[in-house]
Amino acid sequence: MTQLVIGQMLNGVIVGSLYGIIALGVTLTFGLTGIVNFALGAFMMFGAYATWYLYDVVGLPYPAAVLGAVIFVSIVGYISDRALFQFTRGNLVNGLLVSIGMISVFEALVLAAFTTTPKDLTYVLPGALHVAGIVLPKIKVAVCVVFLAVIFGTYLALTRTWLGRAAFAYAQNPEAAALMGVRTGRLQTIVVVYSTALAGLGGGLYASMYSIEPTIGSAYILKAVEAAILAGVGSVIGALGGGIILGVSENLGSVFFPSAFRDAYGLVFLIAILLVRPGGLFGDRP
Amino acid sequence: MSGSKRALLAGIVASGLLWGQAARAEDVVKIGQIEALTGATATYGWMSAQGTKVAVEEINAKGGFKVGDKTYKLELLQMDTRGEPREATVQFRKMMEDKVHFVFGPFLTNVFNAIEPIANQNNGKFLLFAGATSAHNALGKPDHDYLLRTWNWDAGSVGFGKLMVDYLKKLHTKKVAMLFQNDAFGKTAVDIYSGLFKDAGIELQVELFEPGTKDFSASLAKLAAGKPDILFPGYSDAVLYDIVRQSTESGFGNRFFLVRGSIGPALKNKDAIQDYIAYVPKYFESAEKTEPKVKAFIESYKKIFKRDFPYDQAPLCSSSCYDHVYMLVEAMQKAGTVDDVAKIRAALLNMTYDGLWKIKYDKTGEAVFGFDVIHVRKGGAIETVQYDPTKE
Repeated sequence: MTQLVIGQMLNGVIVGSLYGIIALGVTLTFGLTGIVNFALGAFMMFGAYATWYLYDVVGLPYPAAVLGAVIFVSIVGYISDRALFQFTRGNLVNGLLVSIGMISVFEALVLAAFTTTPKDLTYVLPGALHVAGIVLPKIKVAVCVVFLAVIFGTYLALTRTWLGRAAFAYAQNPEAAALMGVRTGRLQTIVVVYSTALAGLGGGLYASMYSIEPTIGSAYILKAVEAAILAGVGSVIGALGGGIILGVSENLGSVFFPSAFRDAYGLVFLIAILLVRPGGLFGDRP
Repeated sequence: MSGSKRALLAGIVASGLLWGQAARAEDVVKIGQIEALTGATATYGWMSAQGTKVAVEEINAKGGFKVGDKTYKLELLQMDTRGEPREATVQFRKMMEDKVHFVFGPFLTNVFNAIEPIANQNNGKFLLFAGATSAHNALGKPDHDYLLRTWNWDAGSVGFGKLMVDYLKKLHTKKVAMLFQNDAFGKTAVDIYSGLFKDAGIELQVELFEPGTKDFSASLAKLAAGKPDILFPGYSDAVLYDIVRQSTESGFGNRFFLVRGSIGPALKNKDAIQDYIAYVPKYFESAEKTEPKVKAFIESYKKIFKRDFPYDQAPLCSSSCYDHVYMLVEAMQKAGTVDDVAKIRAALLNMTYDGLWKIKYDKTGEAVFGFDVIHVRKGGAIETVQYDPTKE
């Protein structure tokens, strides 16, 4: 039983890091543009399909396929921002409507191109690690390491670079940031594109662990929003923490209770946290 | 021209136009289809809709079909329920208002349950060719003369599920772990197979998972702790690829038994599995080489959709679609009518259709057709056992 619990706790951390990377995109976009971009799940799905296409159909090496997918999704993110999102800045409802509409369009496009037949990437890193009776698939461990590196890298970039500090300044006081010479429009576009790139990366690495189909993004964007709220919207490291807490609570909940209600275990935890800390675990106290 | 002459001329022109429209309307038989074409549960509906489209296009390309002295073409109206019952009820109600006499689908149990009350209100006015598992229990009930179920039933003397459980028993199976989605079909499947395994003296362990789950590690680890001989996962490839990979990779189990889904996950993990026993209504990869009708269907599919043939999902074309469209046309010809649904139903129940599948309906209106059981072994060796319950 101990091995089962520890094994699922570690699996929860791995799954949670995927929630975390999308949650990071959610929290950055919300902080800089004032909208919750639900289409990030669809961007993740795009990233997964692009990776599958470049790796399994075109025949690129897996890292090149993921890089190609991230570039592709970033370009789509840039076009979406210039064509749509830039007109929804600071308007939560309009942003929500546009992003939900984009989910339908993106899913329909992928469905028309690749049908509903699941695509299962040729295994990138097969096999599992066996440590003290605990079994962890190698690919999951590798993906988790990449996610952690990207999240900490983003944190460092935000705290140690001029652009990062400008983003923080804008999130705290947009007018003051503009007066100090921050080109706010450009900064917002950079953040939107970076968030979509993170989603594309998430999708590219997701495809190496799970089969993909046009609707995979919907479930993950909900988890990412949950993770962002749990952590406290605006917190970079908190997005990772929120994702991991969610992943662990779902996995451990499924061990001790019916896995039919897996999503509920994370939600119960979220509600409990918000009752005690309405600003989220890592957010500001009200 | 006087006013009365103009009015007369206008009247003649108008009546001519109306007559022309009426004549055209009579020459078309509408077929509705209500399936999930998008969404998480779209696999079955998507493939069914494609099978129907292929049949309709083939029939219309040949100039239609004759009933009595008249030649008719088919008009296909396909609706996307997205697997959502509420959406489906709106679409189905619209079909009933438009007096569509033949509706194909739904495949999904939750959608069938939602539209059933509306269908009951329209009993006698149309025929429903439903693949949904829950439609089985509605067959033969009052106000259900409209209902035909287009899929083999799992249980019963010729049920494929029973034959497969018998097959498992021959492999000395003592305990089976069932891992199904927590939805209407999943619960129905648990009800059906609990009885079948009990009758066979095989112990059953059940775990249901949340719809949309991709990581099954926790469920698999829990089931593995019970030390089952074989895992019985369901029910579409969208989850089977993940379950088979995660189960074999993490050492939770390498023997599988399934009654819905393809052998794709077995072939993908052929070196990691030990046994993978699957009900496959037709193994198209093999049938293409030996059955001319299957070969022609595959060519037709490629021509119409301009894409590769989806071998792993192809058997779903049998459900509420390709063969059943042809069967319906033949029944209309035998009944000598395109709108007397009672006569057409009677003709359907009295015929055996020999198409991609040999299909007949039993007296309750449930399809019985031949099928394959595929046993994939470690390394990818495939053994096919063919059953033809239409002979019984």
